[in-house]
Amino acid sequence: MPRVTIDGVTVEVAAGTNLIEAARLAGVNIPFFCYHPYLSVVGQCRICMVEVEGAPRLAIACATPVTDGMVVRSETSPRVKEARDAVMEFLLANHPLDCPVCDQAGECLLQDHSFTEGRSTTHMVEERRTFPGLERRLIGPHVIQNQNRCIHCSRCIRFTQEISETAALTYKSRGNHAYIDTFDGRPFTDPFSACAADVCPVGALTVREFRFRKRAWKLRSTPSVCPGCSIGCNVWIDHHERTVYRFTPRENPAINATWLCDYGRFLADSLNQAHYLHPLHRVDGQLRKVSWGEAIRALALDLAAARTLRVVAAGTLANETLFLARELFVRHLKGELVVAVHEGEPRRMKNGKGEWLRSRDAHPNSEGARRLGLELVDGDRLARFLFGAADLTIILDPTAHPYLATNEALQLLRVSPTLVLVRTDHPIAEVASWLLPVASLASDEGTFTSSGGHVQRFAPAVAPAGEARPAWQILHLLARGLGVTALDLPSPAAIFTALVAKDKAFAGLAWDDLASKERSSYRERQHVG
Amino acid sequence: MEPILLRARGVPNSRSLETYLSAGGYEGLKKALSMDPDAVTKEVLDSELRGRGGAGFPTGRKWTFVPRDHPGPKYLICNADESEPGTFKDREIIEYDPHLVLEGIAIASYAIRANTAYIYIRGEFVRWAGILEQAIAEARAHGILGRQVMGSDYHLDVWVHRGAGAYICGEETSLIESLEGKRGFPRLKPPFPAVVGVFGKPTVVNNVETLACVPSILTRGAGWFASIGRPRNTGPKLYCVSGHVRRPGVYELPMGVTFREIIEEHCGGIRDGHRLKAFFPGGSSAPVMTPDQLDVKADFDACAEAGSMLGSGGVIVLDDTVDMVEAAANLAHFYAHESCGQCTPCREGSDWAKDILDRILAGHGSPEDPQTLLRICTYASQGMTICPLGDAFALPISSIVKKFPGEFERHIAAATPRPPKKLPVLPWAGPRPGFDGQ
Repeated sequence: MPRVTIDGVTVEVAAGTNLIEAARLAGVNIPFFCYHPYLSVVGQCRICMVEVEGAPRLAIACATPVTDGMVVRSETSPRVKEARDAVMEFLLANHPLDCPVCDQAGECLLQDHSFTEGRSTTHMVEERRTFPGLERRLIGPHVIQNQNRCIHCSRCIRFTQEISETAALTYKSRGNHAYIDTFDGRPFTDPFSACAADVCPVGALTVREFRFRKRAWKLRSTPSVCPGCSIGCNVWIDHHERTVYRFTPRENPAINATWLCDYGRFLADSLNQAHYLHPLHRVDGQLRKVSWGEAIRALALDLAAARTLRVVAAGTLANETLFLARELFVRHLKGELVVAVHEGEPRRMKNGKGEWLRSRDAHPNSEGARRLGLELVDGDRLARFLFGAADLTIILDPTAHPYLATNEALQLLRVSPTLVLVRTDHPIAEVASWLLPVASLASDEGTFTSSGGHVQRFAPAVAPAGEARPAWQILHLLARGLGVTALDLPSPAAIFTALVAKDKAFAGLAWDDLASKERSSYRERQHVG
Repeated sequence: MEPILLRARGVPNSRSLETYLSAGGYEGLKKALSMDPDAVTKEVLDSELRGRGGAGFPTGRKWTFVPRDHPGPKYLICNADESEPGTFKDREIIEYDPHLVLEGIAIASYAIRANTAYIYIRGEFVRWAGILEQAIAEARAHGILGRQVMGSDYHLDVWVHRGAGAYICGEETSLIESLEGKRGFPRLKPPFPAVVGVFGKPTVVNNVETLACVPSILTRGAGWFASIGRPRNTGPKLYCVSGHVRRPGVYELPMGVTFREIIEEHCGGIRDGHRLKAFFPGGSSAPVMTPDQLDVKADFDACAEAGSMLGSGGVIVLDDTVDMVEAAANLAHFYAHESCGQCTPCREGSDWAKDILDRILAGHGSPEDPQTLLRICTYASQGMTICPLGDAFALPISSIVKKFPGEFERHIAAATPRPPKKLPVLPWAGPRPGFDGQ
């Protein structure tokens, strides 16, 4: 493998690596705007200039592959510093510098580099070029364009050409008056449209749903997994003060590179919904607020007394929750358990190698349920399962299957006591005898198994709303209430360890290894703007 | 010197194949077809022919870069996108002698083993595109192009493709992009077109004048060609002289005549009552030269030594009536309009330089302006950009700033401060309830 020395640090990197990536390994940050590791290299912005020993001219790091024995100077070369200084001056010549009112501020590559460089003056005294009419333009359902801020890096154009393959965005006009527009002026209805705003290094393209809701520097990012389908795209949950503001893609070359489809991305807001804040018990037809202690005590008695017990689990639940449910309800209480799954809209995602991953499975963890040996049922079989009466019916996620919201299902459930773990408004609440408030994905911890077989961990981002608890915790409380000591597993980590010990499909996995390798989201921020 | 490239100028019916054949046309191609393609390349290499499009790269060397054993198609492109200001030589060749160009194309294609050649012609050259189409049809009908070129088993198709009006498409990689039907953006090099060119295949891009030199190299030999001019700067050259001379036009002269000879002898000197102030030796992208440089030889190496470049050979002559600031502004307008907008220094720099020069001309210059212009030009050239358009706008403008500082000083000394920009002021409608502390 070639060895390259960058600013005095020698690293060995794979052949074909460009100098930006090699420098990253050497701990040297070479600035860039147009470069993106998953897009083609165009060398347009010219900020990544470096001095290569033996070459008369400065080279652009993004388009220069390493060769053995190469000696490169970045920060240590005065020539490089001057050239980058000049490029920054060019880029800022017509940039509006409206950072205080720009929503990208705080996660803007141009701003970051401007601050790093520390230069605060310009020779530019002319009137700035502007694009009247393109300053606040909704180009599609999710993306707002402000062409004045554009630095012509063409990342968004390359994204639509190379990744989403719609070629929806293009340059129009020429030179300094070139601007980004949709092809033919059509609405930008790309299924990945918000990624174009992600890759925008400045505030020229911003996401309508997030715009002006929270300054970027206030957000904390927690690694998680998108619940939208079975592909299992890695996301950061960006949150502040117990509110989830958005999903941003978390880099994973095997699954979603640095992309996220609009459907998955805009599920983020739904994590904030919490319509049930306390355990509720139906007494004489009226729902009455009870404490967790009361609820668990009463339910433990009911469970112990139930001769027929049936449980409807879901592909939306984590491996840990499904495992606890199986151990508690099936192995210990000898109940029946099915996992309700249904086919959703077709979804697709492009991985780091440029291959499309496809899914028609609307649940993030039906593969996990399959691997745990659980029975997956569709709507018809779910109807048959719920037919007749049981001493207790437990619904772990009523939103997982549309059948559970039908009148037929409600009629079936009305005839026997039903315990429902619930977070959002659902017709099943009218017939349930127990409603336990469950936390959203943003407050849960555990693992999902993607349709590709990757077991991926998600971390809790915010505290649950009200008295809601994560599903695994509710099951753990019930196990404790029943006195099942073998299942007294107080954390998802402990449950996962027990799961690995018991289930061959998960053999060899370790909880700690599944954590996100990145300590912070900055690397992704750099790529996606 | 007997004309080689312009020998058909003035000959009646010179465009027809008949006239061309009777003057010994397509003999070079016949000879080339009897030789090995590599021997043809060797002949051109020995002639020391250098590309006439502007960069002056040895043509034979360019041909050798094409991988010989490449499977699949290779292409030759004839660059007829003659857009450089002050350059009108290719048009002249096509106007009088389209078959000379076709013969050059056929020989070059044979040498690099290409079976398809494209003529990328400037969009505005409607008439000359038609002339070429007609010549191609004639040549095909006579078996000179097509399935069996002149009875051999070599197959060659030539197509004319009209550009859409962008100066940048004269640059070979953006020409290739444009030919592929894309936006005319220059490509990053490497890979060079000789390896990855049009449609991803090895491609050679040669200028019209370069290709027009090739037939005579074959018929008369590399030694004859190399005997014109001086070593490394050989052959006949077309000089397009425009501006304040008595007889502007295209002159075919041996490479290496002095600019004094071109301007004073051939063009009859500067128009009456005026003196030479400056001249661009090779199109508007070449740094400007001053009267004391008149004795510089008009060839590639001598111009480079004199700090300029021969470029396309478009000599633009300016006399003492010209305001050099105005000339610089004129250039800046052209390059700001033609910058493709891809890379930062050229896109922002050309527009910025244009704004500064316009402001100086509007009488609001400031003493720092020449320095700012030089700074812009420094960082838009020297390989800071993907293609040479950065240099093309930066070098002439910086040369004007450096060589004519007095003219800038004169403008700036007479300058008045720029009036402040008037922002619309809304009329005060008096305090409104609920606002202003009420």
